[in-house]
Amino acid sequence: MIRTIAYKEFLEMVRDGRAQWAAGIVIALLLTALAVGWRNYEEINSERQLAQSTVREQWLRQPEQNPHSGVHFSTYAFKPRTFLSSIDPGLAPYVGATVWLEAHLQNQMEARPADDASAVQRFGQMTAAMVLQLLLPLLIILVSFSVFAGEKERGTLRQLISLGVKPSHLAAGKALGVAGALALVLVPAAVIGVLALSLLTDLAAARLDLGRMLLMGGFYLLYLGLFIGLSLAVSAKARSSRLALVGLLGFWVFNGLIAPRVTSDIARTLYPNIPSFEFEGELVKAQNYGLDGTSTYDERRSKREKEVLEQYGVEKTKDLPVNFYGIQLQMNEDFGYLANDKFYGDLYENFRRQNRVRDIGAVFAPLLAIRPLSMALSGTDWYQHQDFAERAEMHRRLTVKIINDDITFNGIVDGVSLSNQYVNGIDIWERVPPFKYQVKPVSWVLGNHRWNLVILLLWFACAGVLLCWATGRMEVE
Amino acid sequence: MVVQIIKHEWRNLTADRTLWWVTFILVVTIGYGVYNGTSWIAFLEESIENALQEEHDRLAKYQLIVANDLPPERRSRSPYSARYMGRNFGVRYAYLPPTPLASLSIGQSDLYASYFKVSTRSTTRQKRHSEHENPNHLLERPFDLAFVTVYLFPLLILALSYNLISSEREQGTMAMVLSQPVSLRKFVVAKVGFRAFITTVLVVGLSFLAFLLNGVNLLDASASKQLLMWIGIVVLYSAFWFSLAMAVNALGQNSATNAIILAGMWLAFVVLVPSAVSLLVRTLYPVSTQVEFIVARREATVDDRDREAQTLSMYFEDHPEFVPEGQEPDFERFDTLQYAAEMEVEQTMRPLLDQYREQLLRQQAQVNRLRFLSPAIVTQEALTEIAGTGLARYNHFLSVAETFHKEWRAYFEPKIFAFYKLTGKDYDEFPRYSYVEEPEGRVVDYVFNSLVGLIVPTLAIFAIGLLKLRRYPLSG
Repeated sequence: MIRTIAYKEFLEMVRDGRAQWAAGIVIALLLTALAVGWRNYEEINSERQLAQSTVREQWLRQPEQNPHSGVHFSTYAFKPRTFLSSIDPGLAPYVGATVWLEAHLQNQMEARPADDASAVQRFGQMTAAMVLQLLLPLLIILVSFSVFAGEKERGTLRQLISLGVKPSHLAAGKALGVAGALALVLVPAAVIGVLALSLLTDLAAARLDLGRMLLMGGFYLLYLGLFIGLSLAVSAKARSSRLALVGLLGFWVFNGLIAPRVTSDIARTLYPNIPSFEFEGELVKAQNYGLDGTSTYDERRSKREKEVLEQYGVEKTKDLPVNFYGIQLQMNEDFGYLANDKFYGDLYENFRRQNRVRDIGAVFAPLLAIRPLSMALSGTDWYQHQDFAERAEMHRRLTVKIINDDITFNGIVDGVSLSNQYVNGIDIWERVPPFKYQVKPVSWVLGNHRWNLVILLLWFACAGVLLCWATGRMEVE
Repeated sequence: MVVQIIKHEWRNLTADRTLWWVTFILVVTIGYGVYNGTSWIAFLEESIENALQEEHDRLAKYQLIVANDLPPERRSRSPYSARYMGRNFGVRYAYLPPTPLASLSIGQSDLYASYFKVSTRSTTRQKRHSEHENPNHLLERPFDLAFVTVYLFPLLILALSYNLISSEREQGTMAMVLSQPVSLRKFVVAKVGFRAFITTVLVVGLSFLAFLLNGVNLLDASASKQLLMWIGIVVLYSAFWFSLAMAVNALGQNSATNAIILAGMWLAFVVLVPSAVSLLVRTLYPVSTQVEFIVARREATVDDRDREAQTLSMYFEDHPEFVPEGQEPDFERFDTLQYAAEMEVEQTMRPLLDQYREQLLRQQAQVNRLRFLSPAIVTQEALTEIAGTGLARYNHFLSVAETFHKEWRAYFEPKIFAFYKLTGKDYDEFPRYSYVEEPEGRVVDYVFNSLVGLIVPTLAIFAIGLLKLRRYPLSG
């Protein structure tokens, strides 16, 4: 019975001229978006890879000089894009592409792609994620709002029930029918997409992401499935197909347009960000005078000097078997890290709180559940950006440490410290490893969004329950 | 007759409760949108004010040291040094003050820095940090009045008018009405006109009220001019959607089909065309990225023959405490060398910088042309221009800041090379930044073009609708 119902529903949709048109447009958009996304990914990634190797080469090309000057010139870390960002670029346009790993300063990430684009991009970009998150649900609503309501209006529902069809079978059949019609749109698009990409892309890179791709597909199926359940449930309970359509479109607008904005605004109001000049000013102050504002450089220096003298068992710095300037430099760095960690830590913590507010919004709008998950698997969510920024900072600290140790231990000849006059050989540049960002494992990536996953599953389950409930209590007039 | 139709419409609307719903939704969304925009702009204004206060306090502190001939905290960071003041301690902020109606459309003001420090450093080395905004929020865009107007308002219009004629036919009232001495066209135009009038008055009135409550001063000449332009755009945008609804109704389909066609149109104009335009422009007129720029700048620095002097100077500047006894470095010499080296890098980078700006302008020029493909883009961009939160005014701000940068350098440069020692009096003569508003004509011209860009499609669609009505199937 379920099969018969599903087949009837499927045929009806496939033969509906309006649905054909709509589906055709959605397929075309999906493929365009995939093609553009892929091209974008290729361009950006190759640019950044080239940039990363160029800055490395520039770093190595540095002449013999004081090594501390070298870390002032230093190098940059460029954020790579994952292959799946061609499906969902997520936050990529709005976060910096690179950061200068300068001595003394934990710089902010710079070069946001959005800065190099016109304002019209902020209407939203044509991405596969946009098609999946906004357009496909709309298509589902358009093909299914009249599934029950229409039968009621035509009087065929009464006949159907009189045949003794169980409501649950009816619900399952109709849902399968809609899903089948949808599969007719999605499967060819997915096949064409995957084929095209496998021809165009380095398969090794693509295969690496296969697991993520499957997970993403699964999440999107849940998301689309819940829209099918919801649409059919509304169609079953609504007094007329018109009301069903209005109600569903209203939900779509709320889900796609209103909820994301309102939750952002609420998050910003609840957890306001520190103004940027205040951040910068306070950070510099803390770097110089400590978090409590009482420490001075001279104090710290004499304390460290005493420690080092004790460690080496000598009376004067000039008797030290090491170059004390390197130690001073490192001491300065270490002291700065306290301030950096505090300020950036607070900033990131605030962002995390704001994101939590958005996550709570997912209870009302499933888009807010799927969006972070999709971005996470594409490597374009906030937490992976933060992780990149933190890795880059760790590389900066490593670089500075290697250089300072070189000054400390090599900046002394025949027991005489060369102080800041020490000039190193060019081999020192080689000793600093090149920066390479290691992509986070899926478990970590999804671990940040556990809540969203739970909410998405709940939405799916609730939509199913709602559908059963609604079809079980349909009023046949 | 027309009066009767309108009376009848009024009864219909009020009995239906649709109008109350529409009013309710508008009150809530407009109120919230204006509130939201206002609080963001208030944040920006407060930040600018605090930054200027910080600048004032900082300069006063160093002036006091210099005026009383007190010793500097560190020799290398001396408030007597023209170079150090011009580059670090003395720097002033360049800022872009929000216009009176900025809260109308937040536009790009959440993306770009509204204030930044201007020093003697080269253009390529000035840091322009925008506010620390959660990138999730930048992606979603804020809920401001422009959003309500561009996205939600058309949906309400469509909800009010998708079955304007079709329902009369479906209920069988059409034939009755037309048995009266009234033509179908007159009947339809009166109906559409009345609904359009009511909704537009509602949206304009409510927004107006929201502004007044938020303390926009209407006596301010520029505020009232902005408000007028804004009303013009909103009225025409609303007219566009009403005429579209009428034309779709005139096709003679049933209400459900009308609703789907109109929803599709909304999707096309508000979501699909804008993203397609953005895509097209980006593909056809690519802008070289800042990544490219950064690599090139390093290239210019790595082989620079004065780089050593530059980095050595940085070294001394950062760590004067390390200077060995008896090896007092010649700070001034390093300072000057460094300044010269930076200028040289800037010269090398200049063509690339100009090229980048040119590309960005060219891209924006294309957007300005292609925006006419969708009234939603025309409206959004026009509202942003009126609010002064768009790219054009920002570029103007950058040029004002650049002029100030030149002035700042012109003041300090000779003093740097002369190893001049600053006095307390000199502090009063440091160049001061003041924002010069762009000529009003540009925005007026832009808005005028936008108005034309809204009128033309509106009239065209309206005419098609009238033509189609001639063959409107009255029965069946």
